[in-house]
Amino acid sequence: MQTAIQLILTSLQIGAVYILFSLGLTLIFGVMRIVNFAHGHLFAVSALVVASTVPWLVGAGFPILSAYLLGAVAGVAVALAVGLVMYVGGFRFFQRDLVGSFILSIGLVLLLDGVLLRTFGGAVRPVPDIIPGTVTVLGAAITSQRLALCVAAIAVTGLLYWALTHTKLGKALRAVSIDHEAAMLQGIPYNRMALAGFMIATVLAALAGVLIAPVTIVSPAIGADYLIKGFIAVIVGGLGSVPGAILGGLFVAAIETVGGFYFDPSSATIAIFVLVIAVLLVRPKGLLGHG
Amino acid sequence: MDDLKLPYWAAGIALVLAATLMVRDAYIASVINLIAIAALTAVSLRFVMLMGELNFATAAFVGIGAYTTGAAVTILEWPFLVAILAGGLMAGLVSIAFGYVTLRTKGPYFLLIGFAFTEAVRILYSKSTVLGGTSGMIGIFPPVALDAWMPTVIVGISCIVILALYVLERSDFGKILTAIRDNENVARTVGLNILLVKIACFAAASMAAGVAGSLHAYANNVISPGDFSFLVAAFALAYVKVGGEDNIVGPLVGSVLLVILGSYALGLGGDEHIFYGAAITLAVLLLPHGITGLLSGRRGRSAAKGH
Repeated sequence: MQTAIQLILTSLQIGAVYILFSLGLTLIFGVMRIVNFAHGHLFAVSALVVASTVPWLVGAGFPILSAYLLGAVAGVAVALAVGLVMYVGGFRFFQRDLVGSFILSIGLVLLLDGVLLRTFGGAVRPVPDIIPGTVTVLGAAITSQRLALCVAAIAVTGLLYWALTHTKLGKALRAVSIDHEAAMLQGIPYNRMALAGFMIATVLAALAGVLIAPVTIVSPAIGADYLIKGFIAVIVGGLGSVPGAILGGLFVAAIETVGGFYFDPSSATIAIFVLVIAVLLVRPKGLLGHG
Repeated sequence: MDDLKLPYWAAGIALVLAATLMVRDAYIASVINLIAIAALTAVSLRFVMLMGELNFATAAFVGIGAYTTGAAVTILEWPFLVAILAGGLMAGLVSIAFGYVTLRTKGPYFLLIGFAFTEAVRILYSKSTVLGGTSGMIGIFPPVALDAWMPTVIVGISCIVILALYVLERSDFGKILTAIRDNENVARTVGLNILLVKIACFAAASMAAGVAGSLHAYANNVISPGDFSFLVAAFALAYVKVGGEDNIVGPLVGSVLLVILGSYALGLGGDEHIFYGAAITLAVLLLPHGITGLLSGRRGRSAAKGH
């Protein structure tokens, strides 16, 4: 029983990050019909900025929590700047062009790979504990940091869900993702919505990077691992579907945790792949995908 | 059937092979090997693009070909040509099974599942002790008699496979692929079995990718799981995009140009990732039809002016 609770808790922690990640991917796909492989690098940029500013600010005499918050603001700001350059300089011209945008994003992936390695170096960067200590939930131990990560990720997901269903912007985004021409006929400015969707996705990736920085080892290669899991999550859930991204994120995290516990992490990755093939065999557009 | 321009091809291949016979410098020979393998991979990637799909599993099939040849040579001690054929056939067989499931999906799903497949296959190699685990396989040597002529052999085999894909593209089969890209449902209404055609196209391209992998194994003598990440497909995409995808000459031009420039930049201490990344990004933004598109576009314009 205790093992089960521990496994569920771990799945939730990993799943929380995958959800933030795949929500961004699904949002960009829904609004612009593009696949952005460089999404993982937005995540890596913000995690790297946090991992390099926090030790520096702590060294300058800031208390750890405010150093982390400042680092988080800096990380999100840098990721937003990179995302804006990507959109204005590139993806703007490739809306609804799957192959063109994908090729552009592969170019950006290689470019950013090299640039990040040059800027931050290949060494891994540990981040000091922000909130020390552990808590016990139903007999299973979890560090306070990971609990905070989980709560923050769930809060962001909830906020996004609420915004998409209740605000004018959210409704406009959903309308565009269902049928952009019909949305434009209703007077929704498509280009502004595309920019908004892309930037919201960037913020989600940046927040995921900020949250993951203290509980993992940060290196420029960190984006690629999460990217592949994020993509698998959206394939399983269905590209463009918000509930699908959440479901897919949890699905991938659960298999990874359970498989990693009973076998080993690489078998878990292969198991995820086999299950994705099985899902596609039954539903070629993912569990909750349509259109 | 269209005019295949076979005399031009024969002349071109003969010229290239004659040029490789002149090469005595080991570094130049290795660059020529790289170009031939890169061109074959890029042509394979482009062949699936003919039916409108981006096949990122190309990287996986290059790896399957290389590992099959590696196992055939080091464990089974098969002869040279048989080992290369085995690499191509194995990649083709796996691609038929993989394609049977995944080609029901389209566009982003097919693309992403190919990407995931590449990573999954890489994990399989690194877990298999027979295949050398994470450190890979060593000692994949060509026969001693061929050793001095490797560039000629590798370029020759690449040319044959590229020519075969070209003939296939210009045949009625190629026209069906274009029809599928333009509108799959219309193609279905005239009674074509779309899934079967797609699998055939995918298998042909994957066999070519497998042969490219076999040649890579022989050229490098050493293979490891790290050689066959999705970057193989990303680089192939760079060759196709920079050269131009409208014509089979495009990927050839792209691979010759980028491999030479890339090796030169690497020699100067440049960064391969930044170089290829910048090449793809600039090509997509500035040259949507690649270098060959630029040339034929200019020719088309001046011809129009002449009339």
